[in-house]
Amino acid sequence: MLKIILLLIFIISIPVFTYSQNTDTSKVTIISGKVKDDKGKPVNGANVVIQGTIDGATTDEKGNFEFETDKSGKKVLIITALDQADKFFEIEIVPGQNQSLNISLSKEVKTDEIVVTASTFTSGANSQVTLTPMEIVRIPGADADLYRAITTFPGSYQIDEGSRITVRGGDPNEVLTILDQASLYNPFVFDGAYNSSSFSTVNPWGLKGINFSSGGFSAKFGNVLSAVLDLQSYDIPRANGMFALLGLANASLAGSFTNTENTFGGTFSLSKLFVKPFLELNGDKTDFSAIPNSNGFGGTAAYKIGKSSLIKYYLNYSDDKVGVRNTSPSFSGYFETKSQSLFSNIKFSTTPTSVSLLNISLSYSSYFAGIKYGVLNNNSKNFYGKLRTDFSLPLSTVIDFSTGVEYEYNAYFLDGSFPKYFYNLKPEADAFRLNMDNNTGRIGGYAEARFKVSRDFNAIGGLRSDYFTISKKTIVDPRLSLVYRLTEYSYLKAATGIYHQNPGLENFLQSGMVDLLPENAKHYILGYEYNREGDYIFRVESYYKDYSNLVSANQYGNFIANEGKGYAKGVDVFLKVRLKPKFNGWISYAYTDSKRKNLLTGGKYLSATYDITHTVSVVANYNITNLFMVGASYKISTGRPYTPVTGAIYDAGQNAYIPISAETNSGRFPTYQRVDINSQYIFTAFNKFVILILALNNLFNQDNLYGYTYNFDYTQKIKVRSSNERTLYLGIGLQL
Amino acid sequence: MKKTFFYSAIIFVLIFTFSFNAYSDDFTNAMMKAKKNLTAALNTYDEKDLLKVRGEFERILQLKMNEWVVNYYMAYIDYNIATSGMKDQDNEKIKKYTQSGFAVIDKSIEQKDDFADSYVLKMCLTFNRWMYEQDKMDDIMAVTQQTDAAALKLDAMNPRYYLMKGISALYMPEAFGGGADASLKLLEKAYDIFQTRKEAEEYYPDWGYSMSFGFMATAFMKRDKEGDMEKAKTFIDKGLEKFPDSGMLKEVLKQYEEKTKKN
Repeated sequence: MLKIILLLIFIISIPVFTYSQNTDTSKVTIISGKVKDDKGKPVNGANVVIQGTIDGATTDEKGNFEFETDKSGKKVLIITALDQADKFFEIEIVPGQNQSLNISLSKEVKTDEIVVTASTFTSGANSQVTLTPMEIVRIPGADADLYRAITTFPGSYQIDEGSRITVRGGDPNEVLTILDQASLYNPFVFDGAYNSSSFSTVNPWGLKGINFSSGGFSAKFGNVLSAVLDLQSYDIPRANGMFALLGLANASLAGSFTNTENTFGGTFSLSKLFVKPFLELNGDKTDFSAIPNSNGFGGTAAYKIGKSSLIKYYLNYSDDKVGVRNTSPSFSGYFETKSQSLFSNIKFSTTPTSVSLLNISLSYSSYFAGIKYGVLNNNSKNFYGKLRTDFSLPLSTVIDFSTGVEYEYNAYFLDGSFPKYFYNLKPEADAFRLNMDNNTGRIGGYAEARFKVSRDFNAIGGLRSDYFTISKKTIVDPRLSLVYRLTEYSYLKAATGIYHQNPGLENFLQSGMVDLLPENAKHYILGYEYNREGDYIFRVESYYKDYSNLVSANQYGNFIANEGKGYAKGVDVFLKVRLKPKFNGWISYAYTDSKRKNLLTGGKYLSATYDITHTVSVVANYNITNLFMVGASYKISTGRPYTPVTGAIYDAGQNAYIPISAETNSGRFPTYQRVDINSQYIFTAFNKFVILILALNNLFNQDNLYGYTYNFDYTQKIKVRSSNERTLYLGIGLQL
Repeated sequence: MKKTFFYSAIIFVLIFTFSFNAYSDDFTNAMMKAKKNLTAALNTYDEKDLLKVRGEFERILQLKMNEWVVNYYMAYIDYNIATSGMKDQDNEKIKKYTQSGFAVIDKSIEQKDDFADSYVLKMCLTFNRWMYEQDKMDDIMAVTQQTDAAALKLDAMNPRYYLMKGISALYMPEAFGGGADASLKLLEKAYDIFQTRKEAEEYYPDWGYSMSFGFMATAFMKRDKEGDMEKAKTFIDKGLEKFPDSGMLKEVLKQYEEKTKKN
């Protein structure tokens, strides 16, 4: 027995003893050689080592290396160098027989950094980001507003100089904002107010990722026709701090906190708008019944569960109120609007395995809006709920797979009085009352795969399907994006796909129909991009969007059908230069041709409402010192289309004129242009950071138009000047 | 039978311990040799020498022992190569090696997340980001705060923490809480701790002592317009006596001599 045990010990010990005996100590072998890159240039500092040993060497400036080894037999040689892909290969070492090797390495390709989707502008950690959050808040005229910043990119256009945007000749409702998987339908205040620009309620500092796609986007996104703004908020903040801002028109307080283990944390923000001092300083003579006023608060709370899971709650509330005098042919009075918006989302993220990711979110939001103008007096309420799950995992080194399902619910309530005759808005005019509600659900799902076909060619193919409960319609949308890397920094991109969006519930209510079809758009995109780590970007992209099943109403709004067709085609050009650390700037140009054929156009293709033929935007920021920055921006665009009134017929019964309109959108506003400048100065006081902000919007007080109105009998066309006249803004920010 | 089994077990444990120690000695010896070469490379502050010793550490990873500390040294060398680029304002070099340093120190922290020096090093690498991506100021500040807090929490008596904070304060404008006096408070603390500090293992990082003399001297030279040259000289002399090969101290001596001439 003892012998057996000793024998066993001996056998077990052999590999341990032989650890340093797998050598022929009598003879050493010299291994030398040269390491080059794929262009034949020597690689300095490459490490050459025999696997499992410390025998090896580092290459010199000429790429040469040499080392001695006492190992023998078949061995794996490992060569590693910064920016180069690791190389492994087998060599046979015969003791005493020196070897000279010529090794060539290939450039390391970080395929995850290739942005496959076309028409994408990003912000975040990726080295190819188009904009950083700092750049967003510094854009002159954008007022630190994410949506306004986006309109300095080609293809997007500000509605009434506010934050609501339209993309590539589409309607504003064709743009969807997603925040942490949830749909964010009303991220604005003063939306729909008369001659008042809307502002976004999304705080750009609270976002870790911003991805704006103006077409050809992923199958992950359903129920949207033209563009997606996909936002991800920060999880657990990495630092504690508070920041207060006091300006002529607003005040805000924001902060973040985390525990020392960084397992729990959150953010908060409070904001209030009070424009009276701002209006007085700028000599604004607008006649208000209620001076624009808004309040907002929000925040996040996140908790890390174990090492691989996180639960996060996001809340945002805002309200606004404004009443401004409006003179229309039949009535002059205050156009009063108010709204309340609440958004909340709870999201759970976990990694079921080391390479897969599962996200589940549940969101609830509500939006109440009220309008009062003469006989028009109504309130609407929208409620939204959404449950969404996304799962992703790499199937192999060349295929990444993702899939997800979602259920979304929307209820709409409308209550109020409406003019019986659209041309008579007097308070005493004939009216009818509506008290209606409707609701719809949508069940959607998608599957998508990214194929890393080669280091230069990637493709994303996806398929999604949605079922709309109100119309009982099911749609299937295939989508495809391709990217081919031409050189280290240049790419050829293409995308195509089918996109559907359910008409808004108000259309079902007004028409009394339940079988309105989802609207449809097919996207075709082809582009070229040069992107040198976000410092030099040049992009040119052409697109064609083919619309069908568009919902349109007749002139009186009492007949609604999926009669509309249309197209939008154009070219977007973007050039950005970032010369660190002093300068960054960009120029955007967009050519758009957007036409619609619907119930209003009499069977002809006519200009769409946002058929803005040419748009140019120039932004430049310069750091005079690290603490003193200045910036300027310039925008010029073709005036947008409108439908002129060519005559009127008197209706004695209503004591009002019935306007006779020319062909839809046959008129155009004058060319729009505006110059904005701003500066920021940072200093310390009482050991705290202080930032002074000075902004001058519409520097040359350009006479841009909000619209036209008419006198009582429509014989005179009266210009309504945009409320965005030259304004000076001063603000002071303080780190607390 | 019991006796036989007992002896067999003893023999097995002895054999295993012996061979493990042999293996562990290989690691310690290799680390000590690389550490010595690193000190020499830091004295010349030559990229070529630093790259050579980086490769030496990288090869030690093949022994699959205490990889976190090996990764720490690789990141530390990346940091030094990056900062060597500051002299020529070579932002490409600073960026390349700072990014490499981040990748390696993150790996080290993943392998051992309670080593204070790793967070000090990550904080230093974060300072370098100011050179090439000031536009990500919010992220830089957040990472700095986070690593600062982690380093202090794990080891409030880590001299390298105070040393690096002191160096940072030295080059920060007084308006932002920097300047010579603010820096000296931190450097003095680092200097005091260094005098009695003993690391847990001989191959653990122990750099910084010679630097504390050099930066104390520099801070004294920067004090007021004329500088406190007498105190500066005291620290240069003391430092060179203890670290006669220190390239940094020799460089500070040169600066001292130039300033003395000007004064």
